Amino acid sequence: MSFFENIILAFQNLRANPLRSMLILIGMAVGIAAVLHVVVLGELTQQRINERLSQLGSNVLSIQPGYSWMHGVRTNAKAVSLKWSESNALAEQSPVIARTVPVYSGNGDAAFLDKNWATQITGTTPDYQEVNNESLIEGRFFSQTELEQRARVCVLGATVYEKLFKDESPIGKTILIKSKPFRVIGLLEAKGENWSNPDDQVFIPLTTAQERIFGVDHLSSILAQMRSAEDYDESLFDIETILRQNHRLQAKADNDFRVLRQDFFLAAIQETNKELAKFIIVIALVSLVVGGIGIANVMLISVTERTREIGIRRAIGAKKHQILFQFLTESIILGLLGGLLGISGGALFNHFYLGENAPLPVLWISYSFFICAGIGVLAGIYPAFRAAHRNVIDALRYE
Amino acid sequence: MKALTKTYKSGRIDVQALAEINLQIQKNEYVAIMGPSGSGKSTLMNILGCLDTPSTGQYFLGEKNIQSLSDNQLSEIRNQEIGFVFQSFNLLPRVSALKNVELPLTYLGLPPAERRKRAAEALDRVGLGDRKQHKPNELSGGQRQRIAIARALVTQPALILADEPTGNLDSKTGEDIMALIQKLHDQGNTVIIVTHEQYIAEHAARVIRLRDGHVESDLPIHKT
Repeated sequence: MSFFENIILAFQNLRANPLRSMLILIGMAVGIAAVLHVVVLGELTQQRINERLSQLGSNVLSIQPGYSWMHGVRTNAKAVSLKWSESNALAEQSPVIARTVPVYSGNGDAAFLDKNWATQITGTTPDYQEVNNESLIEGRFFSQTELEQRARVCVLGATVYEKLFKDESPIGKTILIKSKPFRVIGLLEAKGENWSNPDDQVFIPLTTAQERIFGVDHLSSILAQMRSAEDYDESLFDIETILRQNHRLQAKADNDFRVLRQDFFLAAIQETNKELAKFIIVIALVSLVVGGIGIANVMLISVTERTREIGIRRAIGAKKHQILFQFLTESIILGLLGGLLGISGGALFNHFYLGENAPLPVLWISYSFFICAGIGVLAGIYPAFRAAHRNVIDALRYE
Repeated sequence: MKALTKTYKSGRIDVQALAEINLQIQKNEYVAIMGPSGSGKSTLMNILGCLDTPSTGQYFLGEKNIQSLSDNQLSEIRNQEIGFVFQSFNLLPRVSALKNVELPLTYLGLPPAERRKRAAEALDRVGLGDRKQHKPNELSGGQRQRIAIARALVTQPALILADEPTGNLDSKTGEDIMALIQKLHDQGNTVIIVTHEQYIAEHAARVIRLRDGHVESDLPIHKT
């Protein structure tokens, strides 16, 4: 009896009990599909994080004002306001910081004709474009001259463009920002949504933002670009020294600002993501074990039902191991079919739920077939062994 | 099959199914084993068919000492040397007549084309050449038993063992089956038939009667 014939035989036997085979396959498939979904979800998140990382440039630090603590209560007001002069001081005094970009962001409405959109107005310097890896679809970023002139020009984030314009070019159009007219000179490429939406911003010169729009003289953050990502410790030291000096902080006092490294933040998200994936995979594995037990159960029933068949086969010359393989093949095929169903089901689910570009983890899929075959073997070995070692005479008399 | 001697003492603690039976059956013989239920004829049948091994004593099939063989070797003997015909046919219900007859050849390891050819020939010999693709449950009892006989024949065994082959058939069909078995014997097969019906046993050339595990009588039948 060849291997191939065993497979055909197994299919015939599984077809003899279609409902039972189907139910047990679904049990297996759900487990496999769940694992597939988690794996793909993890890969997608990883992809997005990687994209973000490449956009950020890993050598950019963000300095933000700390909060003031009054008798253990965080007050609303920010303890210090970072100043533009400090931003310049950092770049001048620290040898490891290549350049700094002062940023002031505030909320405000942007309007074009009859459309209005509440967004974030970000005032900054021309360096922002390079430090933050922004690329333009159309037009240009504002210039140093425009910065010095407090020009009323703006560069639109992709989301703002979508909300205010329809397919037409925004360049040269005049929009209202906080009711003041601005000329649109550039449109940024979308960065894609993540935990925040970087595309939902309008960029204007920092001078314009501070003096014409918000009437402030402080910053909401400073971006500091290190010469190299390896200078992190030194940069941090310099920033702390310079800012503490500027803010006249006592030796014992805590920093009144925070330094964030954006890729660290992403790494933390990544970690959380991994932990979550582990947890879900454990659940999925449990469902696979349940699927395996289901196969074992079906095989035991099948062996009992077919006792007489076993007796006949043995009487006309089947050897024990031939019977063993017959039943083992059947349970392996059950496992593999379950896997196949699960993977196609899972892929289909991912396609609709995660979009067409959901990746197909080929390596993982090939592993999962081994896992399914393994489950088939484990689940089938005992029933098959029982079948092979049935007493022939008793089996022949079995009703 | 040249000589078959066997002595058997019961292995079970209480029941002695067969007690020191000595038999010799020659090649081409047509033997009926008779006895009331509980006489040990089924046990004897199982041992003759290599489905069971004697507790003590020896059983030679041809020149092979059955007791010295492993389970795998016994499977091979059953496959190649013995053809079984059971009272309840014991066919696989879900597969065609042809596939049923092919089954022993499958375990013999023949290629599919050769198997099909020989199975078809065997079905022709029992007169079921036109029922090859029918499944057992589409056929009458007599036809099913013919399939079983074809299956027993197909490996050209040294010995055909029939256990109450007509037990589940009406007397007319039973007669047909007995005629078929007679024909097989005439063609040179060794046949052992187990029955409790006198008129069935009378088809044989020799009748061995068992009672309480002993051979009660062993007589040739002179046909008129």
